[in-house]
Amino acid sequence: MKLTRRNFLAWAGLSAVGAVACEGFGIREGEFSLQSPVSLPEDLVRGKDNWYATLCRTCPSSEGIVVRVMEGRAKKIQGNPLYPINQGKQSARCEAGLQAMYHPERLAGPMRRSGGRGSGQFEPLDWTAALDIFKAELQQNGDNMLMVTEPLRGHMAKLVDRFTRAMGGQHLAFDAMDNIAYQAAVKNVFQQDSLPDFDLANTNFLLSFGADFLATWVSPTRWNLGYGEFRQGEGRKRGTFYQVDPRFSTTAASADQWVPVQPGWEGYLALSLAYVIISEGLQADGVDVGALTDGRGVGALDAFRPEIAGSRIGLPDRLRGETPAEFIVGLAREFATKGPSLAIGGGSAGAHTNGLFNLEAIYALNYLVGSVGAKGGIRFNPAPPIDDLPASADVASLADWFSAAEGLNGGRTKLVVVHQADPVHGLPGSLQFRDALNRDDLFIVSLSPFIDDTSALADLILPDRVALEDWGSDIPEPGPGYQILGVQQPVVNPLSDLDPRSSADVLLSMAGELGKQSELPWDRFEDMLKETSKELFELNRGSIKAGSADEFWNTMLQQGGWWDEKATSSARTNPPAGLFNTIAAKASEPRFPGLTPSRDTFHLVPFSHISLLDGQNAHLPWLQAVPDPLTTIAWQTWLEINDEDAARLGVREGDVVVVSSTARTSIRVPVYPTPAVPPKVVSIPLGQGRRDGPDAATGRRASESSNVMDILEPSQVEGTGAFAWANTTVTLTPTGTSIKVSKFEGIVRAVEIGNTEAERIIITVTPEEL
Amino acid sequence: MVTQRVDHKWGMVVDLDRCTGCQACVVACQSENNLPINTKDLFLQRRAYEWIRIERYWEGEFPDVKARFIPIMCQHCENAPCEPVCPVFATYHNDEGLNVQVYNRCVGTRYCANNCPYQVRFFNYWEPVWPERLRNHLNPDVTVRSRGIMEKCSFCIQRIRRAEVTVERRERSNLDYATMKKRNFLPACVSACPTNALNFADQADASGPVKEYFDDVNEHPHNEAHDRKTRGYRLLEEMGTKPNVIYLKKVDPFPLRKGVGHGS
Repeated sequence: MKLTRRNFLAWAGLSAVGAVACEGFGIREGEFSLQSPVSLPEDLVRGKDNWYATLCRTCPSSEGIVVRVMEGRAKKIQGNPLYPINQGKQSARCEAGLQAMYHPERLAGPMRRSGGRGSGQFEPLDWTAALDIFKAELQQNGDNMLMVTEPLRGHMAKLVDRFTRAMGGQHLAFDAMDNIAYQAAVKNVFQQDSLPDFDLANTNFLLSFGADFLATWVSPTRWNLGYGEFRQGEGRKRGTFYQVDPRFSTTAASADQWVPVQPGWEGYLALSLAYVIISEGLQADGVDVGALTDGRGVGALDAFRPEIAGSRIGLPDRLRGETPAEFIVGLAREFATKGPSLAIGGGSAGAHTNGLFNLEAIYALNYLVGSVGAKGGIRFNPAPPIDDLPASADVASLADWFSAAEGLNGGRTKLVVVHQADPVHGLPGSLQFRDALNRDDLFIVSLSPFIDDTSALADLILPDRVALEDWGSDIPEPGPGYQILGVQQPVVNPLSDLDPRSSADVLLSMAGELGKQSELPWDRFEDMLKETSKELFELNRGSIKAGSADEFWNTMLQQGGWWDEKATSSARTNPPAGLFNTIAAKASEPRFPGLTPSRDTFHLVPFSHISLLDGQNAHLPWLQAVPDPLTTIAWQTWLEINDEDAARLGVREGDVVVVSSTARTSIRVPVYPTPAVPPKVVSIPLGQGRRDGPDAATGRRASESSNVMDILEPSQVEGTGAFAWANTTVTLTPTGTSIKVSKFEGIVRAVEIGNTEAERIIITVTPEEL
Repeated sequence: MVTQRVDHKWGMVVDLDRCTGCQACVVACQSENNLPINTKDLFLQRRAYEWIRIERYWEGEFPDVKARFIPIMCQHCENAPCEPVCPVFATYHNDEGLNVQVYNRCVGTRYCANNCPYQVRFFNYWEPVWPERLRNHLNPDVTVRSRGIMEKCSFCIQRIRRAEVTVERRERSNLDYATMKKRNFLPACVSACPTNALNFADQADASGPVKEYFDDVNEHPHNEAHDRKTRGYRLLEEMGTKPNVIYLKKVDPFPLRKGVGHGS
């Protein structure tokens, strides 16, 4: 409308009427005079929003989420308040499910390779043609198939397991930093098949070894929830927390005391603590030390006396003013007397050649303080409610990957099907998995909705739906201490310009067409879930009260799953006889291949990035932009090094160094010196260094975005075949070049604000001062 | 018909002893409030947007070293230094204790950002850009700010307004803390925070988690006198800005300066 004088006056008049009307609608007068009512968002937003419960797939643990959907678009992700694992809370990663859904570089539909393998040249084709190719390949080479997926639990695990078995192929689940050693330790120490929960909310003294459990390890959102209560829960005393870790992780930063131990010596420290507890008789009431040590008592642990262990495990000469031996004795006394106490371990502690020994020694401590199966301690999880649903992700070990690479190189494997896993990026470089896949006599099918390093090598890409568009389920590991099944439902449809298809449905249709209905009798994935829903309904217990199977199903979708708080574990808590003898006999030092640490070599402790994890989230801009809590670095990789080591090498922040490992490979990384790195240790996060895929993951120079996996030694944890990813030593060579580090630090004046000293920003008190 | 008005005064309490620096609040805020994507270029230009941010402070030297985290967002000061300097009243204090930014009034003088001692205001030096498809997840309740506009934490005013309109005006019911929490009216950062370090409620709501601290800090305005019953303090208290955000002191049983060992 043209603005004339007459129009203007008419509008001015209407606005005045509007002003009076809006007062009647309850808008405050004071605000009205300053803010025009038309700018109030609630008056402008049309449509009604709905929140749907489903599961998050951007975290190591699948958390229950609710998604706000408005006019067919997903708008916001939050924790599902009903879901027992995360109870309405979320991590930084969860939200980014939205960006996966609306990512500009999502694959629109099926594609076939049109150039050389890995050239990145693909041509689109329709689903019928694409599925015909897939079917023909399965028919011809199904029994020589290698199926690679992300770690799977619940229905997808069951489906993939049956599919590969029906075809006669092999299934490997990929996890760059697997928990195999941890699972083995839990099995050996507690005789449990599923991982235990930790009752942090009721713990009083928490001793953690190497596990970055507040950031990335196993079930971080759940641990954060418990940690909040551990610190300042109502009606309890504030808990004390020691973190034993060669790296100053986000978790170590939250600890009351960081105990920098030399990489791989965590188990020695744990047994030394056990020595002190037993020799001073500090074990909890009712703990039978005789049974734990086969009657040998403290003699079983004689080799771990604090005087001996203290000098070997590499503690600083003075920690809080104490010598290593004094510190160990003091820590053991606190741990034993300030119960309920809890010892947990994982991460780099389990990623050495002696990782299994380390973890067993750590978890065995819980028997001495009586926290196994007790309040504030280790809580076991029961078997899943439905028998044939896998509750524990069966992840492939490094040994499995070696034999898979052999199968590929020997030409025995003819067909590779990859589902949402990127082993080319995430396996150690020396395994040369890229070369193993780069063969002409191999057919590779990728089911990924995005290009990544592995799917870039594919012959055929059948893009899957993303989590918010697809069905699914999860049996959380660890569970909350009782039976639970989380359900994932499609909360929105894919946009009209995209034509993805659920991989589960694709596998089921292939099985159907190839006459494998006996193993996979379902037409659609949804039917599989409905069948389970009916079985749960017939159990007639748990969180859902329903009159019919349909009502049960609908309620389950509404609530995001089913759980039964009464269905807890009945596992016995008696330790294996002579447990400490067995573990002490297993004791071994970490064996670093090749280089022995010297003046110019460093232990390399890689770690999972807080938002990108192993790189699986590297294509999501929000998660690239999450500043690492300690360095505040975003969008690039970095090498953490001690201030003094950096000065000795003559490098400053942003200076690029060549990191060469004993695996005869090297990468270029900019350094970030901090005061919180032990001497002779350096750390690099996983996650960057993707070669192919969306711009967010790849669009940077090599020195800003290198992949630490390329230089890791392919060592294994003795007794498990798991990947010992913390077992690499490196040398650093300055290149003389430097880049500007992209970080949040410095955007606001972080060290001083105004005239006030930093310590006035974060005021601390001691418990005594309260 | 004039509806009954309920007077609110909103307040946030941040427990530093619970915060682990996990960044869940940061991303939750970016998603809820349509913040521009912080590209690598924005970081390099020192112009990344974070309405709530985690600051990290180092203390000590190896091996006796600590890192401390503090989430910082707009403090919604009662005596806000940003307000009197705005020549166009784009930022003002509303009667619910919120420091409000009116985007369509802002002319981009940046005086407010200059005057804010907490550095929580962010200026749009460029038009925010989202790839076409990503615009689908933008929150329809929140205006996308254009180039030349100042923006900052609003305590998720869109959620507060929705709460007041839905519960108090339409349902004629009581908007207490339990309702705020259950029906998802709390700010996005508070709702996300996995350790419950962030808390939000009406300062007068006895059923909420913040009243105790605001009462204590308001009754004992001088922190140095050590007469407070709680761990509460205001950031840069000596400036007299009187924020509507209260921090609870971090508890540290082994402060570095005192060198407490196991024996002592």
